[in-house]
Amino acid sequence: MHRFPIRFLLFLSAAVILFSCNHYRHMQKVQSDNSCISKFKPDFNYAVYKTVAVINGKEISGILMIKKMPDSSIRIVFSSQMGLSFFDFGFLPENQFQVYQILPGMNKKAIIKTLRKDFELVMFRNMDSNSNYSLADSNQIYHAYPQFKGINYYITDDRCQHLIKMQRASNKKPVMEAFTYMDSSGTSPDSIFIRHLNFNFMITLKKTTPLAPE
Amino acid sequence: MLFCLIICCIYCNGQYPGYTLLNNPESFKKSFAQASATTVSIQSDFSQEKYLTMLSEKIKSTGKFWYRKKDNLRMEYIQPFPYLMILNAGTIFTKDGQRENKMSAGSNKVFQQVDRILLDCVGGTMLENHDFQSRIFDHTGSFLIEFKPLSKNLSSLYKNINIVIDKKDYSATSIEMFELSGDKTIIHFQNKVFNAQIPDSVFTIP
Repeated sequence: MHRFPIRFLLFLSAAVILFSCNHYRHMQKVQSDNSCISKFKPDFNYAVYKTVAVINGKEISGILMIKKMPDSSIRIVFSSQMGLSFFDFGFLPENQFQVYQILPGMNKKAIIKTLRKDFELVMFRNMDSNSNYSLADSNQIYHAYPQFKGINYYITDDRCQHLIKMQRASNKKPVMEAFTYMDSSGTSPDSIFIRHLNFNFMITLKKTTPLAPE
Repeated sequence: MLFCLIICCIYCNGQYPGYTLLNNPESFKKSFAQASATTVSIQSDFSQEKYLTMLSEKIKSTGKFWYRKKDNLRMEYIQPFPYLMILNAGTIFTKDGQRENKMSAGSNKVFQQVDRILLDCVGGTMLENHDFQSRIFDHTGSFLIEFKPLSKNLSSLYKNINIVIDKKDYSATSIEMFELSGDKTIIHFQNKVFNAQIPDSVFTIP
């Protein structure tokens, strides 16, 4: 006799949990403006960053170099201060990816996949899909670019004057956030900050001036 | 047999242009050991270059270097940004801006071995390090000692590590670290001062 109300309450609780977990559900779909995001796309012709990565309290630091290659691929090499390479990744045309080298201790599928996705978000890659859409939240626009798994969001103000932050998300909630601060040229990031929300992993990059060749 | 010897000579000379393999290194080892025994400390400037396979750019750094027998080492990077590393009796301390990190070399086998390499290279005890197999090459003004790592940890990081030794004073003029990928890092030591009194504070870990 009392089973129906209990079942109803369980259903209600589940529904509340389900709805409240979706970070994007309350947002309104709005007209997409594809030209909005393209103007924030960073130019990584050649840049060297002082880099610190912290994962579960363990820290590695060094120099990270980003270079655009003649075939328009982007090469990212992260090495310790003493020169030992942590990883050397290539982001190739047509969204292909190549691991040229990685330290044996870091050579794990999950680590490579996480780093790949993090840098792809920051470099505005995989944005050629026709399935993009935009969501409005108060005075912010979430420009959504569905990926093979999850969604990349580029969040701007409603007049598309500033890129506020970037997010990588599952279908329901953000799993990683990234912030970039442009240098004086306005085209290349001076600082990049990547923060994972579901585990303790952060990467901080600060542009440094490479020494001139002798 | 003769053919193998010729091939071997071509390979050795081709590998390090201008250098020939020293078939009887005992005399070198003796002089090297004598010079190392009299070296208590070294201070120098250094410049470091990382060469990346397939990329024309080099990543360059410069800084100051201190070594004191037997296990004190300080590398203070100045350019392109400040970074400090102190090795003191098995403890590694790094300072990167405001971030400080201290760890026991023993807590990480790879760190321990890489640190041992640095200390052995500048302290002249590398030939006694059983983690490596060595060959010695001769040139007009220098010797080159090639060290091939034998341990699994190091051989997964480096193909070989070379030290170029100045014939005048048997000190290291450069350390060349070749990674498996083909990337290499070369540290050059300049303005060396031997056996100067270096205060303890230089190697003190806060």
